[in-house]
Amino acid sequence: MRASRRRKYWNLLREITVAQYRSKDQHTFFGFAWGFLHPLLLLGVLYFFFRNWAGQSIEHYGLYLLIALVHFTHFSNSTGASMMVLYHSRALTCNTVLPKEVLVIGTVLSKTPEFAISMAICVAIAGFTGVWSGWTLLLLPLIVVLQVLLVLWVSLLLSAAYVFVKDIEHVYQVFLRLLFLVTPTFYSPDFLGDTLARYVVVLNPLAQLIGYTRAVILRDAPVPVVLIGLLLIANAALIVAALAFFKRLEPLFAENV
Amino acid sequence: MSEILPAVRLDGVRKAFRSRGKPRSLYRTLTAWLGRGADADATLLALDGLHFTVAPGERVGVIGDNGAGKTTLLRTIAGLYRPSAGQVEVRGEIALVTGLGIGMLDELSVEDNIYLYGAINGMSREELAERIDEIVEWAELARFRTARLKTLSTGMRSRLAFSAVRHVDAEVYLMDEVLSAGDRNFKVKCEAVFAAFKGNGRTFVVTSHDMEFVKKFCDKALWLRNGRQMAYGEPAQVIEQYTAQRG
Repeated sequence: MRASRRRKYWNLLREITVAQYRSKDQHTFFGFAWGFLHPLLLLGVLYFFFRNWAGQSIEHYGLYLLIALVHFTHFSNSTGASMMVLYHSRALTCNTVLPKEVLVIGTVLSKTPEFAISMAICVAIAGFTGVWSGWTLLLLPLIVVLQVLLVLWVSLLLSAAYVFVKDIEHVYQVFLRLLFLVTPTFYSPDFLGDTLARYVVVLNPLAQLIGYTRAVILRDAPVPVVLIGLLLIANAALIVAALAFFKRLEPLFAENV
Repeated sequence: MSEILPAVRLDGVRKAFRSRGKPRSLYRTLTAWLGRGADADATLLALDGLHFTVAPGERVGVIGDNGAGKTTLLRTIAGLYRPSAGQVEVRGEIALVTGLGIGMLDELSVEDNIYLYGAINGMSREELAERIDEIVEWAELARFRTARLKTLSTGMRSRLAFSAVRHVDAEVYLMDEVLSAGDRNFKVKCEAVFAAFKGNGRTFVVTSHDMEFVKKFCDKALWLRNGRQMAYGEPAQVIEQYTAQRG
């Protein structure tokens, strides 16, 4: 019985993920390609404005920017969509007995292929443009997993909270803008000198992940594997905590969404 | 001799909602927590002291005017709403069908939607793969199998959803006015399905405005008015009381 329930749970998660992935951007002309066009357009603008300033001392600045934008776009799009999924799918939230976290996890997973493909494009560009990449690239999938775990626990917390407090949408938009500024997307962390902002960047998990990806793609530099392992454990623990928070509030979703 | 435990038991169940029903802002949440919000105590009583049991295999029809609390009752039994007072006990896996086709996506094909809708209602892909031909045949949609859902009419969607939901395997079925969708032909087909359900040992709590259906299909009827339990018992008697009250 328990095995059958587990099988049905995974089946439900797969169907929700695939359905969300397939129905995404169906109304737009470029459809699926928007997942790649969005960071590329942002790249064009930032490259144009910052190349001769913040980007002057950074090697392969275009790719340096692109890596950060792929990370940031995935984080902001996935958490933004997941935050509102219980509200946007309120027919499901209010009228079905399915475990509601599946809607959030499905949204996160449906955005993952885009992120993985964008990362592969970054690697391909690195190869074509002669940026040397080596065996450290094998660590890239681990970094991708770390990012997905980070997005997942943030999404679980946000989606549950959004059911009760709709203002979170606006607060989160401001937060994302701040996050963009305290994440070294178009500048190098060295640019901040020994200021307080430097420490904010150090504590920013997204900045860490971007730093690791740049290290393996742009410099073939070793990344601290032990630290990545610890981050994996920490993020897994945060998912468990966020899921517990979500499940505790779940009986109140239908009447508050 | 061991006592047979009820499949569904409600004991003094009350359900109150915030009467304004607006989305909560940060300000409203904080004031409500502090207990001095303008609407901190403003509530609407949707269910008021319900007390009944449903034996395993029994079929109960819930009747009452719009706004009587029928859908709230089903959602409360399903665990989607937490009772404000009293207790709800359900033994067995629940299938809740409130509105046919909830969760189906316009952009996906009929076939993809069967897999999606089936999964939402607790069916495995293997079960659905075995039955998919029969599902589209019953829904009279074999020609539209690869068509996008958005090309189907509302009636066709209802047929498709009901066709899939017939195969859901649960102990307790909670159904909200499923017969109100679709045309006469659909209704006749649905009634045949419900007739086949009779005697399958499953428990049903079904809301309906169709008194003939309640008389034919249900062992008991529950009449709700403004969230209050007006009568519970033999369908013909309860329906008589209900219709007499309506004039």
